[in-house]
Amino acid sequence: MTIPSPPTAVHFDTALHLEPALHLDDVRKVYPMGDAEVVALASANLTVGSDEMVALVGPSGSGKTTLCSIAGGILSATAGRITVGGQDITGFSDKELTSFRQESVGFVFQAVNLVPFLTARENLIVVDELGRRTGAPARERADQLLEELGLADRAKNLPSQLSGGQRQRVAIGRALMNEPDLVLFDEPTSALDTELGEQVMELIRSEMKSRGTAAIVVTHDERITHFCDRSVHIIDGHLDA
Amino acid sequence: MFLALAEMRRAKVRFGLLIGAIALLVFLILFQQSLQNGLLTSFVGGIRNQDAPVLVYSVDGQRTVQGSVITPDLEALVRGTDGVGEVGRWSQGTFTVVTGGETRMTGGGGPGEDAVDASIIGFDTEGLGTPSDVVDGRLPTAAGEAIASDADAATGFAVGDVIRVLPGGFEIEIVGLARDVQLNASPTMYVPYDTYLDVIAAVNPDAGTPLPSVLTVRPADGVSDAEVSTAINDRSLELDALPRETAADETPGVAQVRQSFQIIFLLYALVIPCVTGLFFLIITFQKAGALTLLRAIGAPAHRLVSALMIQAALIVTAGFALGTLLYLPVSQQRLGGIPLRFETAAVVLWAGVLTVLALGSALISARRVLAIDPVEATTGTGVGR
Repeated sequence: MTIPSPPTAVHFDTALHLEPALHLDDVRKVYPMGDAEVVALASANLTVGSDEMVALVGPSGSGKTTLCSIAGGILSATAGRITVGGQDITGFSDKELTSFRQESVGFVFQAVNLVPFLTARENLIVVDELGRRTGAPARERADQLLEELGLADRAKNLPSQLSGGQRQRVAIGRALMNEPDLVLFDEPTSALDTELGEQVMELIRSEMKSRGTAAIVVTHDERITHFCDRSVHIIDGHLDA
Repeated sequence: MFLALAEMRRAKVRFGLLIGAIALLVFLILFQQSLQNGLLTSFVGGIRNQDAPVLVYSVDGQRTVQGSVITPDLEALVRGTDGVGEVGRWSQGTFTVVTGGETRMTGGGGPGEDAVDASIIGFDTEGLGTPSDVVDGRLPTAAGEAIASDADAATGFAVGDVIRVLPGGFEIEIVGLARDVQLNASPTMYVPYDTYLDVIAAVNPDAGTPLPSVLTVRPADGVSDAEVSTAINDRSLELDALPRETAADETPGVAQVRQSFQIIFLLYALVIPCVTGLFFLIITFQKAGALTLLRAIGAPAHRLVSALMIQAALIVTAGFALGTLLYLPVSQQRLGGIPLRFETAAVVLWAGVLTVLALGSALISARRVLAIDPVEATTGTGVGR
């Protein structure tokens, strides 16, 4: 598989963006387990620059997905403060978090990533349909993203008609549809072989850097961390950042 | 709408099968509704669609016209009751008849003749026990004339046809047709009272003059049908006066037929929401991953529920339309001697009932959708897993 190079990269001047893409301040997540408590995340402090790409590395059950979910507004923290793109989402209600996810973050999940009954193009357009419904501009953006991702000729294909790498690229396109402040990648290469995984990581890096968009790449695979600007390790809910 | 229609486009067979199943059930409901109404009309249409407001039976007749006999004493009591305006005689008998040359005749008539049982009703006052809706020809005025039910026109009882009553061969000419005036699910003719007596005499010369079966009553001005019925019933324990609609509904067998069909309708009304509800529940489970993903990327729960309800509404609408289209040609047919009819009121009623039931059943799936936790997208699980 050949993944195309992105179009001419847009130079992004971090100096113009004073607000970090993500700031976690003493964030803690605890799950009650009968009379006891399980600490999934213990006083995490992390700042991700506005165009920074961070690898979040840790073994299974270390709390990396929990951190990612809290940063993306999918999960509420037990304590601490979360700021994304200058927006403090700490006290957001479920409804506010839904709007936040719709407008400010992009997700690429490990498991289910595409809606099976929507074509590649519709999987991108659905982001707009669920939110502001801009119509034609969204369709143009979806076409442009698919072009950039080398999937223009696959726009009308259903996910079942795409390869694993193509599906991941569509998911990346979907994550970029709402022009997010932060994109969260949860084990984006876990279902791909080494060569394809590296190609996808190259694509992720080039797409993020060309847009000046911040990203957190959750992984337990040290081999892909060099695609990121820096790595942060997490073990048993403790962050080494 | 985007999600609802996109999913339906991509799963045409699945949604098409559900539409087909609903269409079949709708067809059966509407067909049975026509059958029920046709059956009841052929049983008691002759009572419901005649113009006497009140019918007076003898108690011994148990609310059947043919079983009732009004003696002169009882007739005098009725005529003397306060609130009674006008009184007529109404007699009914079942006779073997043959249609003259219009149909193939193989039964009990002459060679090649086809004999059928028919009800003949004699009335002695026009406008009191005569068909209320004449659709062709006129009411009988002369001896040997009759008006028949339009439902029987195609079977030898059309205007101009001559009917022979067996034995004796008394001839009756059909001069008019009235809407839905069958009695006892058999061809029915209304004749002047003297003609009725002539028929009896021709069939059985030794019978003598029969007593009237029922008295038809019109209340005096300012007196209601119910009031005059009560007044008549108060005069004698042997009299059983009933307003027209009540007389039709209280005819033995009518309530049982109606009750049987109501049970069938109830079962259908349960099956449709079960089918729809289960269908949407199954596909909600099947696409749990996709729904969870959509919630995770910022789809408000109500948007996903809306998509589900739009699908349910579209499916029940399409199913109902298809079922009604299937029902349309069938409703123009006769089933045995029972004429079916396109029941517009039933179509409208069932459209409303089934839409509400189908949408209600889809709410179970909507609850599952509302229960989706977007965090499950990070673990690959979904609703119900």
